[in-house]
Amino acid sequence: MHSFTATLAFAMGRWLIVLVVWLGVTVVAQASPDAQSILAASDEIRNPSRPFAVTVTLLEYRSAKQSDENTLTVYSKADNTSGQFRTLIRFVAPQRDVDKLMLKSGNDLWFFDPASQSSIRLSPQQRLLGQASNGDVVTVNLAKDYRAELLGEEDTADGERVMRRSYKLGLAAVSPDVTYHRVEMWVDATSSRPIKARFYAESGHLLKTAYYRKFQPQLGRERPTEVVIIDGLDPAWVTVLRYSDYAWRDVPDAWLQRDYLPRFKPG
Amino acid sequence: MSMRQIIITLVFALGHCLSTQAAANAPAAPPDDLDALSLADKAPTASMQPARPWRLFVEGAVGQGKLRDTGSNFSIYRGSIDFRFDDHVAPQLRVVFSDRLDGVDSDGVPPGDNVNTLREAYLSWARTEDQIFDFGRVNIRNGSAIGFNPTDWFKANALRSIVDPDPAVLRENRQGTVVLQAQQLWRDASLTAAFSPKLARSADSATFALNVGATNPSNRYLVAGSYKFSDKFTPQLLVYGGDDDPAQIGLNLSGLIGDAVVAFGEFSAGKGTTLVTQALRIPEANSNQQRAAVGLTYTTGFNLSLTAEAEYNSAAPNGDQWHLLAESSQQQVLSTAQALQDLPTRSQWFLYANWKDMLVRRLDVSSFLRQDMQTSSRTLWLEGRYSWERAELALQWQLFSGPEGTVYYAVPQQRTVQLVLRVYL
Repeated sequence: MHSFTATLAFAMGRWLIVLVVWLGVTVVAQASPDAQSILAASDEIRNPSRPFAVTVTLLEYRSAKQSDENTLTVYSKADNTSGQFRTLIRFVAPQRDVDKLMLKSGNDLWFFDPASQSSIRLSPQQRLLGQASNGDVVTVNLAKDYRAELLGEEDTADGERVMRRSYKLGLAAVSPDVTYHRVEMWVDATSSRPIKARFYAESGHLLKTAYYRKFQPQLGRERPTEVVIIDGLDPAWVTVLRYSDYAWRDVPDAWLQRDYLPRFKPG
Repeated sequence: MSMRQIIITLVFALGHCLSTQAAANAPAAPPDDLDALSLADKAPTASMQPARPWRLFVEGAVGQGKLRDTGSNFSIYRGSIDFRFDDHVAPQLRVVFSDRLDGVDSDGVPPGDNVNTLREAYLSWARTEDQIFDFGRVNIRNGSAIGFNPTDWFKANALRSIVDPDPAVLRENRQGTVVLQAQQLWRDASLTAAFSPKLARSADSATFALNVGATNPSNRYLVAGSYKFSDKFTPQLLVYGGDDDPAQIGLNLSGLIGDAVVAFGEFSAGKGTTLVTQALRIPEANSNQQRAAVGLTYTTGFNLSLTAEAEYNSAAPNGDQWHLLAESSQQQVLSTAQALQDLPTRSQWFLYANWKDMLVRRLDVSSFLRQDMQTSSRTLWLEGRYSWERAELALQWQLFSGPEGTVYYAVPQQRTVQLVLRVYL
């Protein structure tokens, strides 16, 4: 009898272990979020779902002293085919740059100067705004350009120095046309808000760190209204991007091409 | 509870305490990031000024140069006022007005003069969001190249005064042509047709002359169409002609090579006379002529852009033909090429460099070297420009060099240097 009980207990124990392991795997599988979905949810917070316009003010600091300031109006619209944004940027200040335009549609990048009436194709490496690359200013759906991998969960300080439980994502470029080869991104585990990101060159060195902060209700959601960019080589080189005057604003598809640039004059 | 279990429990508890303590003591972010965030906290909240529909600046320049013939120095004093207005006056009606007045005092060659350049003055009516009509003086400018634009046909006789040899400035400070123009847009394509009527036959050098004889000397037309085949390839095809101008066909191409190189090419072909016969007013039958400019622009990681452009003009004299010309004829060919903004000889290299924020923020350095391949002469130009919020200070230097009898030896100035201050109002 004792032997039977012991055998039964042993068999039940084995089944119990199998059950526990199976349950554990199932629970873990259900709890483990999909990295690409986390990134897409974070994109939705940064980028409104419909065509919009926003004013971006760039304040640049070198060694704690303000070295430059630019103001731009950004018009963004998602391409129906690729899902990626097409962006038209109008320079508003300083005075010498007023009405200059930059058009970015994928890697089709044009700069227009109203004075000379000339549209010049730019390479992605050409920067018009100091430390900020063209890719920092235009609207980008990261989930379209990068393959995300969940690197772990950790507590990280956000742009307001508050500790947040976050998903740390590793983003690998799926297209050679993107601005950054590799990105590390921290996304709030509760709200899907982007917290910060580190952008790397193909060589592996850190290009810049960005903090997303000052979340405010804009166009139907809480969105970051400030991004602080810190240079990877010179941490005393800081650019503050402030987003204001969000508005739903559509522009016809035909306007988002080089030959329309001389005519772009929003009313 | 066995001793082993007690020890394991204690170790876990200690580990938990230590990790909690470590988390509590951990810095909120790396020190550099904290400094940057503190700096951003203190960043002033700028009061947003609405963009003005106009731009106005005044410019003053002082300079000195050396004449090649006499070896004597000459001085240059210039004052300029530059105004541009661009705004909607009704929901679908836009007004553009752009004008510049230069007052130059110089004892060099050419001597100083007071010249007003009415660059643009036109009405633009958007019948629909993809169909637009323009009427008035418009600076119609085509071309993907930097130093020489074979498809920029309306550049001929468009310059009234040259205050800066930078190709970008030459494109800006010129008179538009009076046209009736229409544009139709599609999602990935555009078609533009322009008609430039004959308004006067000869140019007018009076200070405030509209000078339509220079910009509208005969009935002319231009049709330009482009189609975006992909993000990296949007060619433009053009057809140009008129009463005095045999039909010309043009092509503009540009594309990306990697993320740092832009390749471009610009071509035109059609019947025409040679530059020498135009300059010396020799009757000659039209023959096939071709013009081309092809090049690459490479941008480094520190934002220095370098352009190399090869330029060709079959209508211009080659080295042997140039050397057969008398000195006075060389001068005439050179001045005609300058007026037409055409290449004075068969082939040239054009190298251009632009470094934004060189070493310090707001200091831009630009330079070009134009090397004539037919007569081994060259011109070199260098500019350093520093910008403040509402002002710019530039130092410009230009050199013309080459052996006697060459193209750039024929330029009266040997070298010039000038300091330019611009203030935005």
